[in-house]
Amino acid sequence: MMHPQKTVYWLQGGGCGGDTFSFLGSEFPDVIELFRRLNLQLLWHPSLSNSSPADHELLLSNILTGEQPLDILLVEGSVICGPAGTGMFDTKNGQPKKELIYNLAAQAGLVLAVGTCACFGGFGSDQVTEATGLQFARKERGGLLGVNYRSKNGQPVVNLAGCPCHHDVIVGALISAATEVAWELDEYQRPIEWFSTTVHQGCTRNEYHEYRVEESDFGEMGCLFFHMGCAGPLVPGPCNKLLWNQQSSKPRAGVPCFGCTDPDFPRATPFFQTPNIEGIPISLPMGVNRAHYMVYKGMAAAAAPEHLKKRTSKV
Amino acid sequence: MILNTTGITIPVNRAEGDLEIRVEIEDGVVTDAWSAGTMYRGFETMMRGRGALDGLVVTPRICGICSLTHLTAAVEALDAISGVVPPDNARRLRNLALMIETVQSDVRQSILMFMVDFANRQAYRGLPALDEACARYAPLSGRAAIEVVRETKRLLQGVAIIGGQWPHTSFMVPGGVTSMPDISKILQLRIIIERFTAWYERTVLGCSLERWQAVDSIAALDAWLEESEQHRNSELGFFLQLARQTGLAELGRGPNCFLSFGNLPLPEDTTVSGRGGRFQQAGWAEGTTVHPLDATKIAEDTSHAWFAPKKEPLHPYDGETKPYASGHSGQVYSWIKAPRYGGRVVETGPLAEMIIDGRPLFLDLIGQQGPSVLVRQLARFIRPAYVLDTMHIWIDELRRHSMDFFYRSTRAIPDGEAAGMIQAARGALGHWVKVEDERITHYQIITPTAWNGSPRDASGARGAWEAALIGTPIDDSANPVAAGHVIRSFDPCLVCAVHCLVGGRKRGRMTLGVGNR
Ligand code: SF4
Repeated sequence: MMHPQKTVYWLQGGGCGGDTFSFLGSEFPDVIELFRRLNLQLLWHPSLSNSSPADHELLLSNILTGEQPLDILLVEGSVICGPAGTGMFDTKNGQPKKELIYNLAAQAGLVLAVGTCACFGGFGSDQVTEATGLQFARKERGGLLGVNYRSKNGQPVVNLAGCPCHHDVIVGALISAATEVAWELDEYQRPIEWFSTTVHQGCTRNEYHEYRVEESDFGEMGCLFFHMGCAGPLVPGPCNKLLWNQQSSKPRAGVPCFGCTDPDFPRATPFFQTPNIEGIPISLPMGVNRAHYMVYKGMAAAAAPEHLKKRTSKV
Repeated sequence: MILNTTGITIPVNRAEGDLEIRVEIEDGVVTDAWSAGTMYRGFETMMRGRGALDGLVVTPRICGICSLTHLTAAVEALDAISGVVPPDNARRLRNLALMIETVQSDVRQSILMFMVDFANRQAYRGLPALDEACARYAPLSGRAAIEVVRETKRLLQGVAIIGGQWPHTSFMVPGGVTSMPDISKILQLRIIIERFTAWYERTVLGCSLERWQAVDSIAALDAWLEESEQHRNSELGFFLQLARQTGLAELGRGPNCFLSFGNLPLPEDTTVSGRGGRFQQAGWAEGTTVHPLDATKIAEDTSHAWFAPKKEPLHPYDGETKPYASGHSGQVYSWIKAPRYGGRVVETGPLAEMIIDGRPLFLDLIGQQGPSVLVRQLARFIRPAYVLDTMHIWIDELRRHSMDFFYRSTRAIPDGEAAGMIQAARGALGHWVKVEDERITHYQIITPTAWNGSPRDASGARGAWEAALIGTPIDDSANPVAAGHVIRSFDPCLVCAVHCLVGGRKRGRMTLGVGNR
């Protein structure tokens, strides 16, 4: 099935390029097949394109005047607004890059914010660099483009959260965009297809969580929630559902989930620790009732089977 | 040097970031150059007051292509502060992951970033091999480009087996690593590395790793190229032919002074040999004369960078990172500080590693011809050939020792200071860390790109690639492909689209942008 050709422009702002490298890790389809099969014309990607400087400038100005239609704009990295709102901490040609992002978004059929920095500000959303996301600043609506922004096809910015965003999510979103499949979005404009399950779902340590058999140091088998700062039950994300690089996930390898799909990532409290009051985590799993949870966990710990308590079950 | 900086502005501390290069041209040749980091992300400031281990989560986010190198530098600093020696298996796993990251970076940089310039139809209209270059390297469609996307992605599955995902995992912790892969996963890892090695031999080298090891001089390199059609048609052989046709041996000289922090601490029980406890040794070199490294000689000069002015260059233990963009716009033009070693400008990267490790081919090349785009890029192209064998050995050792420890308990980090100094894919990377009451009180980072892409220092000495740009021919200022080769041979970043930003405030001057854009 051949789809009508759509054009794609990929822009990087205040980020590390990690989403690009995540994207390159996609397997089915890989990025080559993706562009070919979906008939996507990649106008520009900073890692993949080789048009001459002058040609790139011409392309940009044609997009900005509307002469070159832009169907899908992907933005990776935050919008840096510092110092003092000038945007001069991140420039292109001596001009704040935030202006370019704004102007491109005004021309785009659809805008995908790729990665937590582009969605919510992420690293740098502090006093110093004053970074923001495209349509959110952390949990607050607005961001660079404002609450009422809609792309030319009438949609708000679609937030593909994650630090980095999972490769299958980026690719999946491009497939949806190319084939005009509609999304259902959550309150932070993340597609619920990938952001309604928690990272906790699918974790191989789940059995340990269930019976409250906890890791209290690195390298053990057990759940990482109660002592090691795992945010798996607190945030939505597909890491354990889709797996990374076709292989694994952080919790599977004994690394706590850092909650990187959350608008408040990176959190202010230390990683690798679970903020708690008398051993009870302050933040409880998404949507649970504290009293019920406490009773349930107390009983579950008492009911824990031997193979878990002895940690003979592999994770 | 007074320079009107209108047009180039602002930050970087994530030195693998956006850069703009301004050059002055006379009679079609670069006569002066200024390298400006144009983005400031404030990571060092962000670290102050965070939890002692937070560098393991935060600093990988400085760079998406070398996140593990930041993780490694961060964890080595914490190991040192804690006074813990990680068990052998942790060494093997950390080293393997870092080597995978370096190898994929070298291959992607060589084919997807460097060679793709030869598929620039406008710039290379007259090149006999143009059609072949396009057939190999055109973005998303060239056959080498497609293979590299596919093979590097599969290689990186090895990092996911070890640490859960790539990029941005935090599986290295003070005292070791967070898990040991199951035996079946170790076997899978072995197959991944074997498969990649076979592809690298077949496609990039055109010969076995073993045959390549015999190339130990310029004469041996010439003989290798003559030897077979396979050698000439490999990516490496094709690169050498193109390099001759386009004069890469005469391009991009640089300071001829090199720095390597050394890398990959050896497990106690291993058949892999190295020097000073590491697989790759630390040192600095003037030409081919190698000296031991003295870390106290490292200092950062901020005279030409947008940071609060300092009377003299500071060692990173005393360094500060306070953005300060006003008041002296005449001479200040970058968000990269100017790191110097004993006051000298040095270049870092795979070439520096080859020289400081005493690889005969590179000693001959530098001794006879001096540094150039050709030698620098050759070092990157073939670095995997010198590490893939060692990776096989460590995987086999892991398999034999799969029941051994991989972590020594190190829960609380004591007060103290230490540095994690390693070789990232792009060269010398250091994290200087101080911890007090389980909190970070000081964090300074010097990235490879800060060494290579630094601005001038107080004495007016140009940074490494500023110096290397002098003498570069610019035939078409709208498409300055030779300047691109020079900058790219230093591998400044994941992305380095060299492009002309402004036509020039005065005749003959233009600005090139290099970076993520
Ligand atoms: S380790 Fe984290 S994600 Fe896994 S079961 Fe425990 S809380 Fe859930």
